[in-house]
Amino acid sequence: MWTKSDSVALDRRQWFDWVKCGLGGAALTTLLARDGKLAAAVVASEASDPPPHHPAPAKRAIHICLTGGLSQVDSFDYKPKLEKLHGKSLVSDDRPDVFFGKVGLLRKNDWAFKQRGESGLWVSDLFPHLSEVADELTVIHSMFAETSNHTPATFQENSGFRLNGFPVAGSWLSFGMGCETDELPAFVVIPDTRGVPAGGSINWTNGFLPARHQGVIIRSRGTPIDDLFPAVEKTPQLERDSRNLLERMNRRHLASRGVNDELAARIGSYQLAARMQVVVPDVGNLDQETAETHALYGLDGKETGDFGRSCLLARRLLQRGVRFVQLFAGGAFGSPRINWDGHEDMIRNHGREAGRMDKPVAALLKDLRRTGMLDDTLVLFTSEFGRTPFAQSAASEVGKGRDHNQNGFTTWLAGAGLKHGISYGSTDDVGWKAVENRVHWHDFHATVMYLLGIDHERLTYYHNGIKRRLTNVHGHVIKEIFA
Amino acid sequence: MPRSFSILAVILICCPKVVCGVDAAARQFDETVAPILIQHCLECHSGTDPKGQLDLSSLKTTLAGGESGEAIVVGEPQMSLLWERVDGDEMPPKKPLADSDKMILQRWIQSGAKWGTDPLDSFRFTTNKRAGYDWWALQPVGDHPLPVVQNDSWVRNGIDHFVLEKLESSKLNPSSPADRRTLIRRLSFDLLGLPPTSDAVTAFENDGRPDAYERLVDQMLASPHYGARWARHWLDVARFGESQGFERDKIRENSWPYRDWVINALNVDLPYDEFSKRQIAGDVLYPNNSHAIIATGFLVAGPYDEVGQSQQSAAMKAVVRQDELEDIVSVVSQTFLSLTVNCARCHDHKFDPIRQREYYQMTASLDGVRHGSRDVQLMLDDGLAERLEAEIDDLRIELGELDKRVRLRINAAAVGDALPDAPLPRASWLFDTGLDDSVGQLHGSGEGNAKIANGSLVVDGKGSFVATTLLVDDLREKTLEAWVKLDDLDQRGGAVMSVVSLDGGLFDAIVFGEREPGRWMAGSDTFQRTQDVGGAVEADAKDRAVHVAIAYHSDGTIALYRDGKPYGTPYKSSGPLTFSAGKAKVVFGLRHFPPGGNRMLSGAIEAAHLYDRALTPIEIARSAAVKEAFIEAFNEAITPAEQKRRVAIQAEISKLATAIPRSKNLSIYAVKPRNPGVAHVLLRGNPATVGEPVAANGIESLVGLEADFGLLAEASDADRRRRLAEWITEPTNPLFARVIGNRLWHHHFGVGLVETPNDFGFNGGRPSHRELIDFLARELIHRNWSVKSLHRLIVTSATYRQSSRYVPASAAVDADNRLLWRKSPQRLEAESLRDTVLSVSGELNQQMGGPGYRDFETFTKNTQFYTMTDPVGPEFNRRSVYRTWLRSGRNRMLDVFDCPDPSTKTPKRAVTVTPLQALTLMNNSFVLRMSDRFADRLQSEVGDDVQDLVRRAYQLAYNRNPDEEESNDAVSFVAAHTLSDFCRVIINSNEFLHVD
Repeated sequence: MWTKSDSVALDRRQWFDWVKCGLGGAALTTLLARDGKLAAAVVASEASDPPPHHPAPAKRAIHICLTGGLSQVDSFDYKPKLEKLHGKSLVSDDRPDVFFGKVGLLRKNDWAFKQRGESGLWVSDLFPHLSEVADELTVIHSMFAETSNHTPATFQENSGFRLNGFPVAGSWLSFGMGCETDELPAFVVIPDTRGVPAGGSINWTNGFLPARHQGVIIRSRGTPIDDLFPAVEKTPQLERDSRNLLERMNRRHLASRGVNDELAARIGSYQLAARMQVVVPDVGNLDQETAETHALYGLDGKETGDFGRSCLLARRLLQRGVRFVQLFAGGAFGSPRINWDGHEDMIRNHGREAGRMDKPVAALLKDLRRTGMLDDTLVLFTSEFGRTPFAQSAASEVGKGRDHNQNGFTTWLAGAGLKHGISYGSTDDVGWKAVENRVHWHDFHATVMYLLGIDHERLTYYHNGIKRRLTNVHGHVIKEIFA
Repeated sequence: MPRSFSILAVILICCPKVVCGVDAAARQFDETVAPILIQHCLECHSGTDPKGQLDLSSLKTTLAGGESGEAIVVGEPQMSLLWERVDGDEMPPKKPLADSDKMILQRWIQSGAKWGTDPLDSFRFTTNKRAGYDWWALQPVGDHPLPVVQNDSWVRNGIDHFVLEKLESSKLNPSSPADRRTLIRRLSFDLLGLPPTSDAVTAFENDGRPDAYERLVDQMLASPHYGARWARHWLDVARFGESQGFERDKIRENSWPYRDWVINALNVDLPYDEFSKRQIAGDVLYPNNSHAIIATGFLVAGPYDEVGQSQQSAAMKAVVRQDELEDIVSVVSQTFLSLTVNCARCHDHKFDPIRQREYYQMTASLDGVRHGSRDVQLMLDDGLAERLEAEIDDLRIELGELDKRVRLRINAAAVGDALPDAPLPRASWLFDTGLDDSVGQLHGSGEGNAKIANGSLVVDGKGSFVATTLLVDDLREKTLEAWVKLDDLDQRGGAVMSVVSLDGGLFDAIVFGEREPGRWMAGSDTFQRTQDVGGAVEADAKDRAVHVAIAYHSDGTIALYRDGKPYGTPYKSSGPLTFSAGKAKVVFGLRHFPPGGNRMLSGAIEAAHLYDRALTPIEIARSAAVKEAFIEAFNEAITPAEQKRRVAIQAEISKLATAIPRSKNLSIYAVKPRNPGVAHVLLRGNPATVGEPVAANGIESLVGLEADFGLLAEASDADRRRRLAEWITEPTNPLFARVIGNRLWHHHFGVGLVETPNDFGFNGGRPSHRELIDFLARELIHRNWSVKSLHRLIVTSATYRQSSRYVPASAAVDADNRLLWRKSPQRLEAESLRDTVLSVSGELNQQMGGPGYRDFETFTKNTQFYTMTDPVGPEFNRRSVYRTWLRSGRNRMLDVFDCPDPSTKTPKRAVTVTPLQALTLMNNSFVLRMSDRFADRLQSEVGDDVQDLVRRAYQLAYNRNPDEEESNDAVSFVAAHTLSDFCRVIINSNEFLHVD
C-alpha cells in the first residue's frame, strides 16, 4: 500500500477519506463503481502524422533496462569454443580497444548452458526461472553499440543518441501514440529500489519534446507520484470546496475572455487531477492481487521482493492503459556495485543481480501470458552493451571480472507480433563481436516501433532545423523476427 | 595579428570559386538553362548515386547519359531522351515544367547545348526541397520604405506600418488598445517577469501625461529585474546547465558567473554585437577584462562527458571530442545566425546551402575551445573598470607612437654609427607594443594571460605563452637569443624561447632550471641534444633582464651565452635538428606543446631574436651590447619633453591598472583554450576517416559577407575565434541582426515573425512579415545595437498595445493570429509563475547575483546524485533564474510548467496543459507554504475584515478589485475554511497564470 510519505503514515480508513477528498461525491462513486476499469478518455497522439502507420500487433510495451552491461556469454549467447579456449589468449587481427585497457585471457562462461523448452533456446543457469519461459523469447545475439562508456551507451540505448538532451523511446511513444487513459501518465519509469541509474532523470528526459512526455517516476514503495496529495493534510470538504470555487472563478474568467482552448483545458485538467488521486493509489495497491500472484512474483522473497513489486506494479500500470513502462534493473556505476557492471567478480556480481530479478521477470511473462496481455504487449530486455569474453586482468591471467563490450551483446524481446523461441544474428566463436545480421540500436528501435504500429521514419518532431526521430537518419526494421 | 600579404595572395589565388565562362552562350546557359536544371533536375540527377545513373550537374556527365542511354543529342531535341521525358511531362515527376521552361531547354539543345559554369552548383537556387544561395534569410537586409496604410491614425511607429498593411490586405481590423491595467500587467510580466505592485498600477492609471506609457516602459527597462527576466530567455538558447551531465553529472560550482554576466550585460544594455563577440571570443579580445572572459561560459555551458574524455580508448575519445565540438558549433551557429551548421557534420546540409567542409571550417574556428575552470581577478565595478581599461589602451597607443618617433630618429641619425654592428636576425620580437615580428613574418599571438606590459612580454608560468605563425623556411643551423627577467629563480623547466614542432615532439629551447636548479640549458626533446655545461647559477635575472643565447652549429656543437659571454662549456650534440617550414613555430614562455606542467616560464621577456645560423662569440657579444647601446642611443635621442611624457605615461598606466577594482581570484567555468592544431574534414563525420585539412572560415552562402578569414590552417585559437566573432557580428551579416530581432519579437508576442527562432533555413518557418524583420534588424543596427532600444520600439508600437480580446470574425480568418489582429494572451513561464507566487506572497528575496540557491541535496551513492527538496528560508526565495540548474536535478514544479531540459537548446518553450500541473499547484509544499505567507501578508496589510482581505488578495494577485459576485463567493469560502486556503485557490486560478 502506498502512503503519502513514509513520515505520514495513515491507516486504511484515513487513506480512503483522503482519496475521496480529491473528488466531488458523485464522480467518486461513479469512478469506484467502474471497479478499477479505465475511464474511456484516451490521450491523442500529438504527431503530425499519427500512428498507426500500419496494423500494429502491440499496443504497449514494458522495457526492462539492465544497467551496467549483461554478459552475453554467461547468459544467452552460448559459445562452446570459449569453454575450450579458457585460459588462452584471444587470437585476433585487431587488439581489443576496451574501456579500462586491460585485456586478460579468455574466460569461459561461469554458468552452465542448457537448451530449454520446446524451442531448445540456449539459456544458462544464471536465469533458471527465465529458462522456464524460454519459448516466449525472441533473442537477438548480434547487437553492437557505438561506445563502451556506460552513460552515452545508455543514452543511445534509450534515445538513439550518445548525448544528453534527446528524447528517449518512452517520450517518443507518449508523443506519438498518446495514452490509453488520461488518468495515468503515458510513460512511467520505475527505478531500481537501490537507486536511479547514473545521470538520473536524464535517462527519461523528454529532450526537445514537450515536457509532458517526460517519464513520470512511479515508485513501488513510498510516495507513488510526487504531489499526488497535498503536502499538508487537507479535509475532503476543503478539497471539494476549493475545486468548486476554482472552477467558478475560472469559468467567469473564461467567459470574459471569449474562446480560449488553453483556459478551457486547464479547467478540465483539475478534474483529471482529481481522478488521478483515485486511480494512482488504486493501481498501486498490490494487495488487490492474490496470494498466488504475490508468490509468483516473489514478493515475499528477500532477494526478489523489490523487483517483484516493481514488475507487478508495471503489469498493473500497463493494464490500466499506460503506454510504456520502463523498469530499471540496476542503479549507478561505481562501488559498491549495485548493477550489472561485473568488472571485478562476475560470479558475485551477475549472481546477485540475476537473483534479484530472474524470478520476477519470468513471473511477468507468465502473468502477461495467462491474462492474455502478452498478445498485444511487447516486453523488451536490454542492457547498454555486453561484456568481453576475455577477463579484465593482466594479459597473462584469467581474471574474475569482464570489461565492457560494445562489439557484440544480446537483448531479447517477447510478446506481440514476434516469432517466439527463436534467436537472430550471431557473434563470433567466442562471443566478442557481432558478425552475422548485426543489429544497431537504431535497428532495434525501428523494430520495436514497427511492432507498435509506427514507421520510425514517419514519427518526427521538428527541432532546430531537423525533423528529429528516434532513429536519427538510420534504422532498419528486422522483419525476420516477426511472426 | 597582421597577416603577411603573401599568405593572403596565396589564398586568393587558390580560392576554389569557379570562374564563370565569358562567352555569350555560356552566359546565356548560366542565366536561363542552369536555373531550370538546378531547380527541377539536380535534386535527383546529381551526386554520388544519381537516379537512373544520369548526372546533369556537368556537361561531361550530361553528355555521357544514363541507364536509358544518351540524354542529349546535340542540335536534335527530338532525338534527345531528356527532351522527350520533359516534353511528355514524365520529368520532373509530379511537377511538369512550365511551357516557357520547356522552350528554353528545347532551344538550348537545338542551338548546340553549350554549357556555362561547370559543374553546376546545386546550391545556386532554392528548389522545392532545399534552400539555395537565393534563400530569403541569406540575402542582405533590405531597406524597405514604410508601407502605405489606410488607417494611419492607428499607427504609432514603423512596426505598425508593416503589421497594418498585412491586416488591411486580409481585410482584418486591428484591435483597440488594451486598458491601462492590462497594459501595465502585460509590460511588467513581459519585461520583468513579475507582477506590478498595486501602487505602480494606481500611479500609471492616474498618470495624465501624454507619454505616461513611454515613461513606464523606460522605468521598467531600467529595473534590474529586466536583466533577470530576459537572461532566462538567453540561457534557454545557450543550453545553460550547471553540472556536467552524462554519467557523473558533477556540479559546476563556478558556472554562475556566466549567468550573472548575461543578466548584467542586458541590464547595462551592452550593445548586442559586443554581447555576442564576448561570448565567442571575450578572452582573446579582452584578455585583461574578467567579464569578457566570463562571457565565454556561453561556449561551454553545455554538457561535458568527463568519463568519455578520460577513457582509455583514443578512438572513442576522439568521438567524444567531435560530439563536443558539434554541440559548440550548434550553439554558435543556431544562436547567432539561426543556421543549423551542425546538420552538415556527416554530409553537405540536406536543406540549406552549407557544405560539409564548411561545418569543419567552423569546428576549426572553435577547435581551441575546451571546457574548464580558470581563475580571473574579477573587476568589481564594471563601468569604472571598462573606462580605466579604455584609458590604459589609449595611453599604450600614445606610448607606442612616441617610442616609434624616437626610434625613427635614431635610425635616421645613427645606423651603423652609434650602434655596434649587430648581426641581422631572421626574426625579431621587441615586445614593446605587440607580438609582431619586426623583421620577418613570424608574428606571435598570445594564449592564456600572456600580455605586453612595460615593453615586455609577461608570462605567468601557468597557462600563458605566445606562439608564432609557422616557419616559412627550413631551419637547421640557428641561434636563439632573448633578454629575460624571471619572476623567481626557483622555477624549474620553463623556456624563454623554443623552436618547436606542432605536436610538441621536437624542440630546441632556452630552458631555465630544468635539469639543474638555477641554471640555463639548451632544452631538447627527451634531452637528446642537452648537456649540463657548468655555467654559473643565475643570480641576477630576478632583478634585471639578462641576455641569454644558444648557438646551434652545423657540426652539432651547441654553445650557450649569457650577457654576451660564453656560459659554461660548448659541447657536441647529435647534430642540429632541422625544423621544416610549415611544420614548426617559435613559442615564448613554453618549452614545448602541450602547454602546462613544468613547461611554463614565469617572467618578462623584453625581446627575442631568431637567426638562421650559429652566431660567433663576437657576434653574440655585439648583439648583447647593442641592446645596451640602444638604450643609450634612445636616451640620447629622446627630447626632455618626450622623456617627461614617457615617464608620465608609464606612471599613469600603472596607476590606472591598480585602480581597476579587482577581487581576489575567482574560479570560473569558461573556455579554457588549448592550442588547436590543424582541423580536418572527417568523412561521414567519422574521426577515423580524416579528409582534407581546413582553416577557420565562415559560411560562403551568406550574401554580401566575405567568408574567408584569411587564416592558415595552423592559425592560433585566438586568431580563429577573433575572426569568427568579427565575421558573425559584421553589420553586413544578413542573419545576425535579423535573428536577434526575431528572438525579441518571439518573447514579446509568444510567436516569432519566424516561428523557429533557431532556424531561418529551409526547414524552419517562413516569415510572417519578412520586411518587418528587416526593419527591426536595421533599427537595431542604427540604434548602435541597443537591445533595450529595440524592446522600446516594439512595446511602444500600437501592435503590441492591442487588446487581447477574442474576436470571432478575425479568428475565422486568422485563427493563429499570425497577422497580429490582437495581442495573443500568454501563460506565465515556469520561472515567472514561481517568482510571481513569491512576489504576491511578499516573500520574494530580491538579491541579485552570486552563487545560486539550491533546491536539492547531493548525496553520493557510487556516483553523485541529487535529491530534490523544497528548502525553506529567505535565501531560497530568490528569483528562479538564480536556481542552480543541474542537468539531472530538475525542479519538478518548474518542469511540469514546461521548463526545458537544460541540455537542449531551447529557442521556444512548449506550452502544455496537464493534470500534473494541477496536482503540483494544488498540493506542492511550496505552493501551500506560500499560500500561508500570502494570507499572513494580507492580514498584516488590511486586518481581519474578510471583505477587505479578499479585495486586497485580488489587488495583489490580479491588480484589480473583485466584483460583487466574486467578492461574495470568496467571502463565503473564507468563512468556511481559511484565508490561506483561498490564497491557494487564487494561485491555481487561470487569471493568475495568464497574461492578457
